Amino acid sequence: MEPFVTLGPGAERNGFTSMLAQLVRDNLTERPGKKDTLRRMRGRVALVIEDLQMVVTLHFHDGGVTIYDDFHGIPDTTVRTSSEWITKMSLVELEPRFGLPDPRGEVAREVAKASADGAIQVTGAVAHLPLMLRMTKLLSVVG
Amino acid sequence: MGHPFPSRGWADAFRDAVNQNETYRKHGKPWTFGKVAMAVKATPERGIDDAMGFVLDVHQGECRGIEYVKGLGAMDAAPFVIVADYDRWLSVIRGEVDPIKAMMEGKLKLTKGALPTMLRFVESSRALVNSATAVDTDFDAAPQPPA
Repeated sequence: MEPFVTLGPGAERNGFTSMLAQLVRDNLTERPGKKDTLRRMRGRVALVIEDLQMVVTLHFHDGGVTIYDDFHGIPDTTVRTSSEWITKMSLVELEPRFGLPDPRGEVAREVAKASADGAIQVTGAVAHLPLMLRMTKLLSVVG
Repeated sequence: MGHPFPSRGWADAFRDAVNQNETYRKHGKPWTFGKVAMAVKATPERGIDDAMGFVLDVHQGECRGIEYVKGLGAMDAAPFVIVADYDRWLSVIRGEVDPIKAMMEGKLKLTKGALPTMLRFVESSRALVNSATAVDTDFDAAPQPPA
């Protein structure tokens, strides 16, 4: 079965939800291997984009993802950062074998530094590491 | 004297601004994915009765040409189309909004083309659109539709 990518009720009022849905759909088309990644994902990730005062929740369930405007349910992981870093996170280099973030990559190192400096704050990532790693792979536009 | 937006004169000045933008030249060097159209939605109260816009023939950090066209159908040849309403484009030209942020907010919309490709070229996309801020624009003049 093809993984689904849908918007929650009223989510289209938040422009970023539509952009995220388009990004996931285009990524699945360009790199069909990501379909298996999406099928295996379970849980909720909230993205809080502070400078745009936006919150979106990605709910991974039943082999697909529903994207909601605002918080929806209790997130397993929350990423709190700026729009600039959200864009950068989609550019994190992946190592080719397992599709995990490549710590040698230039952007990956920038993102790691931003996390250490507090410019990117992630809560719940350790307890839900597979979810975060798969989401990085799903949203990456470079691998 | 500034150019009305949009107009043929503005289009030519925009092409020149893109080609004088060192940031675009640097980050756009690997771009070989075809033309990019920037469309102004129909805004009858502003005298724009049909969409109009610019089709930029961008390649490897250079704008080789620009067409000023009427109707979204005239932009079909471009593999990437970015659409916004008239006032939103004016905000971009004034440098009041960052084009990437505006895309995230849904104020500028990529209606055609692969978003991952645009994101891979996020700095060149930003520089391309931001070149518009360098155009001497007459913000009080009425739009001049293509001939």
